[in-house]
Amino acid sequence: MFEELDMVRDLLDKQLVDADGTKMGRIDGIVLALDGDKQPRIDHLELGFAVLARRLHPRAEQWLLALRRRWSVRKSARQIVPVSKVMDITEEHIQLDLNALETPAFDWERWLRDHIVSKIPGSRSEQ
Amino acid sequence: MKKAMTLALGILTAVGGFFDIGNIATCVQAGARFRYQLIWSMVLATIVVILLIEMSGRFACATKKALPDAIREHFGFGFWLVPFLILTVIHILVLGAEIGGICFALHLLTGYPLQVFALPVAVLLWVFLWRATFSAIENSTSVLGLITLCFVVAAIWLHPPTHEVLQGALPSMPATNPENYWFIAVSIIGAVIAPFLFYFYSSGAVEDNWDRSYIPVNRAVAVIGMGFGSVISIAAIIVAAVVLAPRGIRVDDYHQAALMLIQVFPYWGYELFAVSMAIACVGAAIEVALSMAYTFAQTFGWNWGEDLDPAEDARFSLVYTLALLGASLFMLVGVDPLKLTLLTMAISAAVLPFVAIPMLLLMNDRKLLRDAANGVFSNVATAAIVVLTIVLAVVSIPLMVVGGS
Repeated sequence: MFEELDMVRDLLDKQLVDADGTKMGRIDGIVLALDGDKQPRIDHLELGFAVLARRLHPRAEQWLLALRRRWSVRKSARQIVPVSKVMDITEEHIQLDLNALETPAFDWERWLRDHIVSKIPGSRSEQ
Repeated sequence: MKKAMTLALGILTAVGGFFDIGNIATCVQAGARFRYQLIWSMVLATIVVILLIEMSGRFACATKKALPDAIREHFGFGFWLVPFLILTVIHILVLGAEIGGICFALHLLTGYPLQVFALPVAVLLWVFLWRATFSAIENSTSVLGLITLCFVVAAIWLHPPTHEVLQGALPSMPATNPENYWFIAVSIIGAVIAPFLFYFYSSGAVEDNWDRSYIPVNRAVAVIGMGFGSVISIAAIIVAAVVLAPRGIRVDDYHQAALMLIQVFPYWGYELFAVSMAIACVGAAIEVALSMAYTFAQTFGWNWGEDLDPAEDARFSLVYTLALLGASLFMLVGVDPLKLTLLTMAISAAVLPFVAIPMLLLMNDRKLLRDAANGVFSNVATAAIVVLTIVLAVVSIPLMVVGGS
């Protein structure tokens, strides 16, 4: 689809979907690997509020991590996606070879669904 | 036929976002205090809103992305964070004002105080959002919204002086009270060009699966939908000018506004006004609550869609749930709905550059839009709109302080 891929313009902040097309967050950070004289390459993608907070200010990340220690629904502050999991890059989104429901990106979604939404009548149409 | 039905999105956007509590307040005050003299500001606002709605729809058709989604993606999280936070505050304020409008309409019909209705109204709106699909919301609101045509019927019935109405379509200086004149002019523009309109409309186009083949439909929807809202609003100015202005009613609260239809509909004019107000505000409240949920979900990349069950997009559904609960507090604690509306209009006029500038940039991104990108005409128009929004941003809050009474 792309003639060339700009890392910040076309990858960072892009919508991620899982193997079934379920939206599972955005690319909040991109981490490069620098290995001696070899060419730098993208090592992994990062997801999570902590990553976003760090982009604003290192202190914002510290605050967020402190909040997390009190209320931690998410198992890890940031989710790491190895580049090998990238299945497809389109103009619309980036598809990952993962099941969103099993990733930390869905920890909050799952927690809120199980503890709040599913307790409210009418949250599923088949009921 | 299916594409003809998509007019529902335009009418919904118009009934909800265009003719809502802010418009009722500003149009009725404009007519009551300055007769036909402020029609020009509605005409100007209509042209601007048609252009911007057309662009946000065209963007969604070409990219299958709504605006909040695209803004975060292309300008980055750091750029988007501040407008996002400001818009969140505005969403809550506007939602509070719309809930206020519904409560006030119910108060007009029953005589009970506004506070009584705050929570029941929030819960009913929530039930609708929790259970209904997007097309059910579109269709019911756009059909019920036709009741607001009663203002048009009244405006024709009253035979306003044609030349004065047409003169009002061109800007002129007021004879008295210029601060208030300019304050109302800016409020009308701020009420029509509500920031959430574009986020809602482009998200709705994505919900309705619009693609490039919908670009001409989108143009028609923008013109007809927004035109519909505009005609009703101008009719409201005219009715207020004929009925309220000669009696010296300045409309310092909504009770006085409710009298405007009685001359034309003597037996049920009062009830008709209340029902129109309630429906317009229900449409708007639903639109604002959804717009806030869309903006959150797209900013963070959550799964979203009004057609999904709440259990499938828990975070999306909880955003509108919390927004409705939070916004109902304004009426619960007894904030005056008219004051809340006017404050909200001034603040939302102040943030319009945050909406217009990213839109101008995105609409010129040929890598993204290819042949659907803005042409010369749209760009000149948008550049003019950006200048207008910056002027509004600078003057709106000072004008509210000097002229807002």
